[in-house]
Amino acid sequence: MATQQSDSLITTEVSSSQTGRSAAPDETVISSTDLDVFYDADKALDDVSIEIPEHKVTAIIGPSGCGKSTFLRCINRMNDQIPACEVDGELHFHGTNVYDPQVDPVALRRKIGMVFQKPNPFPKSIYENVAYGLRVQGKEVTDELVEDALRNAALWDEVKDQLDESGLDLSGGQQQRLCIARAIAPDPEVVLMDEPTSALDPVAASKIEDLIDELVEEYTVIIVTHNMQQAARISDKTAVFLTGGKLVEFDDTQTVFENPAHDRVEDYITGKFG
Amino acid sequence: MATETGTKFQAVSRLRGTVFEYVSLGASVFGIVLLAALLVYVSIDAFDLANASPQWLLTYFLTLVVPLIGFCLYSADDRQITRRTGLAVGGGLVVSALVFTGVEALVGPIDRLSWPLVYLFVFVVPTTGYTIFAANQETVGGVGFGLLGRLLGGTALGLAVGVLFLVFDPQLWMLAYTFGLLPAALAVGYGQWRPDSGMSSKALPIGIVGLVVAVGLRQVVPMYPTDFIIYIWSVSMPIAAGGAALVAGQRGRTAALSVGLVPLAVAVAGGFAAAGFGLPSKTVLLVLVTAGVPVAVFISRTLTDGEGTIGLVLPILLAAGVLVGALIVDFAGFPAPDPWLDPSYVTSSPSRTPVDAGLYPAIVGSVIIIALVAVLSFVLGVGTAVFLEEYTAGSGWMGALTRLIQVNIANLAAVPSVVYGLLGLGLFANFLGFGFGTAVTAAFTLSLLILPITIISAQEAIRAVPDSLRQGSYGMGATRWQTTKNVVLPEALPGIFTGTILALGRAIGETAPLIMIGAATTVFSAPDSIWSKLSAMPMQIYAWANFPQAEFRYGVVAAGVMTLLIVLLGMNATAIILRNKSEGV
Repeated sequence: MATQQSDSLITTEVSSSQTGRSAAPDETVISSTDLDVFYDADKALDDVSIEIPEHKVTAIIGPSGCGKSTFLRCINRMNDQIPACEVDGELHFHGTNVYDPQVDPVALRRKIGMVFQKPNPFPKSIYENVAYGLRVQGKEVTDELVEDALRNAALWDEVKDQLDESGLDLSGGQQQRLCIARAIAPDPEVVLMDEPTSALDPVAASKIEDLIDELVEEYTVIIVTHNMQQAARISDKTAVFLTGGKLVEFDDTQTVFENPAHDRVEDYITGKFG
Repeated sequence: MATETGTKFQAVSRLRGTVFEYVSLGASVFGIVLLAALLVYVSIDAFDLANASPQWLLTYFLTLVVPLIGFCLYSADDRQITRRTGLAVGGGLVVSALVFTGVEALVGPIDRLSWPLVYLFVFVVPTTGYTIFAANQETVGGVGFGLLGRLLGGTALGLAVGVLFLVFDPQLWMLAYTFGLLPAALAVGYGQWRPDSGMSSKALPIGIVGLVVAVGLRQVVPMYPTDFIIYIWSVSMPIAAGGAALVAGQRGRTAALSVGLVPLAVAVAGGFAAAGFGLPSKTVLLVLVTAGVPVAVFISRTLTDGEGTIGLVLPILLAAGVLVGALIVDFAGFPAPDPWLDPSYVTSSPSRTPVDAGLYPAIVGSVIIIALVAVLSFVLGVGTAVFLEEYTAGSGWMGALTRLIQVNIANLAAVPSVVYGLLGLGLFANFLGFGFGTAVTAAFTLSLLILPITIISAQEAIRAVPDSLRQGSYGMGATRWQTTKNVVLPEALPGIFTGTILALGRAIGETAPLIMIGAATTVFSAPDSIWSKLSAMPMQIYAWANFPQAEFRYGVVAAGVMTLLIVLLGMNATAIILRNKSEGV
């Protein structure tokens, strides 16, 4: 009985959130083939093969420790920061294997922006936070670019009179939107989001969700989330990772939530475990 | 049943915790009280307060201390603070008189201490400190002490710059300023005015080329203007321009011009006038500029803000207090003390006769050593710490090497300073030929001595920068260097400053390594280059302590210790101000 209730709850969520984005044939922007990741001896990702479409929101869900954040951090090679981490297999961004020795991870990250779980604005002014990416990437900083980024992050109206004040003086939700503005200011192609709302209250979280809905007009968004309702509300595609770092199911969000191909996925999204 | 629960509630013993609390309190107070007692005696000796008559003390108490406390209480505007202060000042008088007389009657006379002095040090000084602290929290007091701080700090800065120019070539500075710094600053200014001109990015190459040209020209140019004109052109004018620029942004052109030009004119006039009175005109010029410009900026700000302007009278109040006190003492003929620590002490050379003895060459020596040590240890220490924390890998042979370096740095911090002296003697003085007992040898040796402390504290500060900030920066496509420069270092800087302050405090007081590298205990003229032999304050003080005359031990040494402490405090205050500035966004 309980299962059925939560089942129907999610179903209504999905149907009420028809994103209405074009059903045109999807251009793949990121694809991985047989991607394995090890932390020393522990296998964090196991043979992950996925094709992520352009200008869509792709949600990655799964229980704790299933490797969803690890996968996200593989895309812009943030895992390089962890000495114990070893990546095997291929991950393509526009057809280029990002783990090719020729690829400079710094140049890669300039194409793929990232937003982290905890808001982490720099202890600088709001203006300088947004301008940071432009500065380090050697691009020209203009007031218009900063304003555009803040507008796209739905923060401009709240902070336009306090651009010189510290980014740390903002509330948690504002800080996270500042981080999003910071990530999109240098105009990347893909924005990775690692549980961007998990440290925020529901009102701030829903603002970020609305924002993601707008961001996808210009960017490809890949979001890791713990919150299945959130995944159902905002994403076009959903990838479900289960324990052991296996990608178990990847399909249109509606299909995954309404008619999953695997029993274990159904058990997970209906709350039987995870 | 209810009664039973009630008794159970009362059964928790806090005895051990309470005992621990008071033992800890005692332990922490013990050292502070002993040190305070020593400092009281040192200052009594240094200022010859033992020979101050009660009338003399009373006069200055009334003309200087009472108005100061009054100002503070007016500013704090808090009934409770006023009541407490009154109680401490009034009650303290009775308590110290009674207790001191009682102790003297029962135990015997106490050397060089009288009840007015006890009253002064036990009640008046702490109470004044407390009221100053309380007043500083409020607008009026903040304005008053802000002005006073700028006056004193500016004066100290001017004196320090003057001392550094004794050793560093002013003519080279003029060339470097004219061809390197000034064009670079103009480029930055033009770049900000016209952002699309891209001049800002050209500032650095312009400055570097200019510096190279300056060094090349130094040997070529045959004629130089006098030092006085060099100081006006390449020290005073940039400071005045800086002050004007600070004000111009917010308060318009008239205010900016007056903030820049008035102190400059006063300083130049003062410099010329000083020559007539037999004062060193260059030093007067520098002091008037370094104190005058910040004071002018501060007054201009306060007047435009219009809050707490009454606080601006504080320096006048204190100056008037000193003047009136001096007049009364002179007029009434009260026996005044004859302090050892007076202007002639800090401006004359050491001597075998206590009255003539001065610390000037040693002060100059210490200031130069410390300036060099600060630069050397900061650059080397921060560089090493950044490398160890941000750049080395955790594994492989580099990782092993890093761990080896880490362990050794920790051990080096514990190596006795004599050993560093030996290293300095062998490496810098002998092998590299920097000379025995020169400023360069001393600076390199002391830098090595404090380097482990600087590195370890800088490492701690860098490690304390949250990893999420680094991740954020890398995620934006920043390189390691950009992340270090833009995110890690600015965030770690306050902590790095704190560590460096502590380390420099140790360096300025070191004697043993200086003895090892052959620094003179006594030199009779101030060093005139970084290659000349010099002495330092602790060396000179140590030498005096062994002199046979009692006046050396009970006067000259005490004055030397006070001078050393004052220089140290000034240095720390500068570093703390720098730290607080770097903490702000």
